[in-house]
Amino acid sequence: MNLLVSYDWLKEYVGLKQKPEEFAAKISLCGPSVEKILPAAIDLDGIYVGKIITIANHPKADNLKLVDVDLGRATGDERRRVVCGGSNLYEGQIVAVAVPGAKVRWHGEGDLIELQPTEIRGEKSDGMICAAGEIGLGEAFPVKDDHEILDLGKEIPGMRVNPGTPLAQALGLADDVLMDIEVTSNRPDCMGMVGIAREASAILKVPFKYRPASHVPRPASLKKQKRGTSDERRATLNVVIDAKDACSRYIGTRMEGVKVGPSPWWLKRRLLSAGIRPINNLVDITNYVMYETGQPMHVFDADKLAGNTIHVRYAKQGEKMMALDGKTYVLPDSVLVIADEEKPVAIAGVMGGEDTGSGEGTVNIVLEAATFDPVVVRRGSRKILLQSDSQLRFEKGLSQMGPESAMARAIELVKELAGGESAGAPVDVQTKKYKPQSFSIAVDEVNALIGVELKKTHMVEVLKSLGFKVKTVGDKLSAEVPWWRDHDIEAGRDLVEEIARVYGYGKIPAKVPMDIAPRKSDAIIIWEDRIKDLLAGAGYTELYGYSFVSKDLLSKAGFDAQDLLHVQNPLTVELEVMRPSLIPQLLEAVAGNQERSDTLRLFECSNVYLRQGGKKGNWSELPDESPQCVIGYIEHQNDSPWREAKGMVEYIFDSFDIKEVKWKKVSQDDLWHPGRGVQAYKDDFLLATVGEISPKYTEAFKIESRVGAAQLEMRNMIKFAKTHKSYSPPFPYPESKRDLAIVVDQDTEYRDIELAVLRADEKILLVQWFDTYAGKGVTEGKKSLAMHLTIGSAEKTLTSEEIDGVVNNALMACKEKFGAELR
Amino acid sequence: MKDQLEALRLEIERDIKQAGTLEDLDELEIKYLGRKGQLTAMLKGLATVSAEDRPVLGSLANEIKQAGLDLLSKRRTELADSRFASLVDSERADMTEPGNRPAEGHLHLVTQAIREITTIFERIGFYRTRYPEVDWDWYAFESLNMPPEHPARDDWETFFMDAVSSAKQKQGRMVLTPHTSNGQAHELERHEFPVRMLGIGKCYRRQSDATHAPMFHQFEGLYVDQGVNLSHLRGILDYFAEQFFGPGRVSRIRPHHFRFTEPSFEVDISCGVCGATGVVDGKKCKVCKRGWLEIGGAGMVHPNVLKASGVDPKKYSGLAFGWGIERVAMMKEGTQLDDIRILYQNDVRFLKQF
Repeated sequence: MNLLVSYDWLKEYVGLKQKPEEFAAKISLCGPSVEKILPAAIDLDGIYVGKIITIANHPKADNLKLVDVDLGRATGDERRRVVCGGSNLYEGQIVAVAVPGAKVRWHGEGDLIELQPTEIRGEKSDGMICAAGEIGLGEAFPVKDDHEILDLGKEIPGMRVNPGTPLAQALGLADDVLMDIEVTSNRPDCMGMVGIAREASAILKVPFKYRPASHVPRPASLKKQKRGTSDERRATLNVVIDAKDACSRYIGTRMEGVKVGPSPWWLKRRLLSAGIRPINNLVDITNYVMYETGQPMHVFDADKLAGNTIHVRYAKQGEKMMALDGKTYVLPDSVLVIADEEKPVAIAGVMGGEDTGSGEGTVNIVLEAATFDPVVVRRGSRKILLQSDSQLRFEKGLSQMGPESAMARAIELVKELAGGESAGAPVDVQTKKYKPQSFSIAVDEVNALIGVELKKTHMVEVLKSLGFKVKTVGDKLSAEVPWWRDHDIEAGRDLVEEIARVYGYGKIPAKVPMDIAPRKSDAIIIWEDRIKDLLAGAGYTELYGYSFVSKDLLSKAGFDAQDLLHVQNPLTVELEVMRPSLIPQLLEAVAGNQERSDTLRLFECSNVYLRQGGKKGNWSELPDESPQCVIGYIEHQNDSPWREAKGMVEYIFDSFDIKEVKWKKVSQDDLWHPGRGVQAYKDDFLLATVGEISPKYTEAFKIESRVGAAQLEMRNMIKFAKTHKSYSPPFPYPESKRDLAIVVDQDTEYRDIELAVLRADEKILLVQWFDTYAGKGVTEGKKSLAMHLTIGSAEKTLTSEEIDGVVNNALMACKEKFGAELR
Repeated sequence: MKDQLEALRLEIERDIKQAGTLEDLDELEIKYLGRKGQLTAMLKGLATVSAEDRPVLGSLANEIKQAGLDLLSKRRTELADSRFASLVDSERADMTEPGNRPAEGHLHLVTQAIREITTIFERIGFYRTRYPEVDWDWYAFESLNMPPEHPARDDWETFFMDAVSSAKQKQGRMVLTPHTSNGQAHELERHEFPVRMLGIGKCYRRQSDATHAPMFHQFEGLYVDQGVNLSHLRGILDYFAEQFFGPGRVSRIRPHHFRFTEPSFEVDISCGVCGATGVVDGKKCKVCKRGWLEIGGAGMVHPNVLKASGVDPKKYSGLAFGWGIERVAMMKEGTQLDDIRILYQNDVRFLKQF
């Protein structure tokens, strides 16, 4: 979560001498990170404080006036004539005057426009008297009618500046910058100015000026909370915490006779710097206190509450409430609420109710400062989809000590800015007792972990500067955790971070712990990489698909999602079922890309999610994350793309020295073309399935070509895969090539013939298929198979007659086994 | 006879000089100097001349033969040269036409980034491991010191599986791991030290927008041994910065918060454009945040994480670091994808660019 910090405001709490840049650089390395430095919110260049000297009627327009303003010597001349349509002009009025060159927003709408000298209905106008909205101050100074100009003297009583003072300077914005600071979730104490100031003080070693005890005197009544059960107090305010698990503390204070109105400029300015819109003095005070201390607060209009008892409870079935954002929320019973004697009046820690909020006419109020359970607040807010600055703080975990000083500060500010008096003592209910925790760690332990020798005194000093109470016994440090860190510091180990970060991580030397790897990388990862290299080298492009897919996609490829592993809370139905195969997305990729290229060579290497050992029913064991590799090949007008797929698989087998593979027909799996599918086995392990995807499925994907495909079973394959190979020297005598073409029955398979030929004569070293033909010139029911034979001997150069003899042996073997005829 | 020989010499010289092709020269060689050529024929006539003149004429004839052969050879070279020279016109091709390329394959951007990171860490003694993507809550959260009420364990942050909880007591619900840190407990459970693990794998989070894909890849380094300290982490990060991003690039760590490390850090890499100054030509650097680029998280392994796997935190300490593969790949290449999800859409027009 990020906090906008006005540097000027921050200086109220800590004695900073640093330039903002220097502050940002140092703080970011040791504490909360300053992500951006921005100029103070509003661009007020060319806008000055002016005093109206005379007002005259415009000769040609009833609604316009000719106004002479005194601008001191700011722009060279003391008097300036402007034409103005303001409805609230008077002589002696202190106004904001924009001179040509300034950037303004006409009527507070549209883009910023650079002001030019102009003539309005025949009268020269050398500038403009601005309305608040025209110079980005609309939120600070709301208007009653659109023609009202900003009356600085009235809005900021007591502002003592001379005409000609730049407006930014008069408003105290000139020298300020805003810092966008990232606060990590464990540090909600830094979600307020005081927390940032405390960090700055420790890191930059500058004085911490915030003193809640003296700066904000604790009201005497707060100390007497325990005894406060008198009838008189009961009459003013009661607090009952029904949901004791969800609220450890609630302080309520009734104040009477307050006067609602706009906040003074100094307060508005602070809120504006924090990005908060001023509402009225009461609401502004609660926001100011939250921004100062990190403790959210709320203010109720006491007269709108039914009865004088406040309950902290879970919502009841069917309860609804309109929140301050104007929306009505139905409140599930897991949502914690603040309720009066009849109804919910606030969603605890998230947002107050519209009907019981303070506004015009509010006279009596109840101020709330409480500690709600972080998980209850977070889950409730998510449930009703409502977030707020308050909720973002509560859900990080706030200390139950926070409400005390926040309440004291709020009471003080209400008295100062809205008048009114506390009606009785604040009511303070706690459901558990707060006790600060202490942790210890040895100096050696700290240094062993940091890798630097720091002195004990240094460690103590750092911890103290962060608010820890530290005791030392010999080599041991014992630190009592300050309350604002009580959700963060959980053990002695956490003290190491405090010491090391303030010391400075940058000062810790960098040492590379170089060594020999104590074990090998997982084999599957290495082999996947090798196969990817082969595929990419052969022209295949690698795909990466999501591990979860839709039921529709699966069923399109013939998979039944029913028994597969589902995501219980998927983002969309597109990402719901853990994929049992890479082929559905391969087909999707082919379909999506088929028009982009004539030839597609695609592959993906990834895990699929299968049942362990054929179990059924509910998933109660982790899936088998089985590594697979699929390849796909399509080529426009290629009617046997399975050849490319199979060739690729053969190439992979050869490259990894996987020999004596048995090829068997695919049985049962209808994903594969019924006549074009084959599986490679070795020692009964399935290595790969190769063929064409059944048209039944390619058509479902609207794929226009045949799809050659292969699926490699990685785990089985790597059982046999090797990168080292044995060497057999080539024969010293020349080898001969002969072609053999035979005619056999249609259903005779080439692989059988190849094996028979190889066995027919040991001088046949290699058989290579090159053509199959059926049709004209070949008897029906037969086919012609043609192959190249490589013939040679280790002993001598074969004569032509000997070679003919070898070819004849091959032919005879084919005749004998398959009834083959020479073609 | 002598005159006849001289006449023949002139004839040979003239014809050879005039010959236009290699074939013509072959013919001339046969015609004049061959076994049945004119010179041979003339030599046969030597028998009829006087014994006195015979040696003179004989040597003249040989001289003519030799001169003829020399001329032939010279002329052959001339003709060959001019034929090669003429190829400039006769066989000219438009060499600006494209070549025939082999089929071009492409490894996915993510694979390429994983490899580069792997290589860098293997050099200093890390090994690669793979642990489950679908895992028990224990590994994904509980053993990592993330209590049941931790926000990451809420339904809107993490994907849970439609499965019954584990029969083993502590394992809890089945989840799609939101980080590769689940590998820490798996690796530590082996009790083999030192641990120098590099886990790279798929992770899943319930987020899908231009900068988040619901599935992404993370990289997790874990080094556990006796005496591991913060300076080792600084060393590893600096080493990585220089190896991955290039000479002169350095890392820095800033305080951050993760449950499974203490202390925890955010890791930044110095900006290569502005050299960590945040300023280029007097203007704010557009690439980085004030001179640095956020890359990922790191920290010293939390004692509770070691304990969860039965490792004694008094004896062993460790460091861990990790970040998104997609993110660093993009930081390095300056590949600004408008929408990171394009990585997983399998559009060849995208894939073929890498």
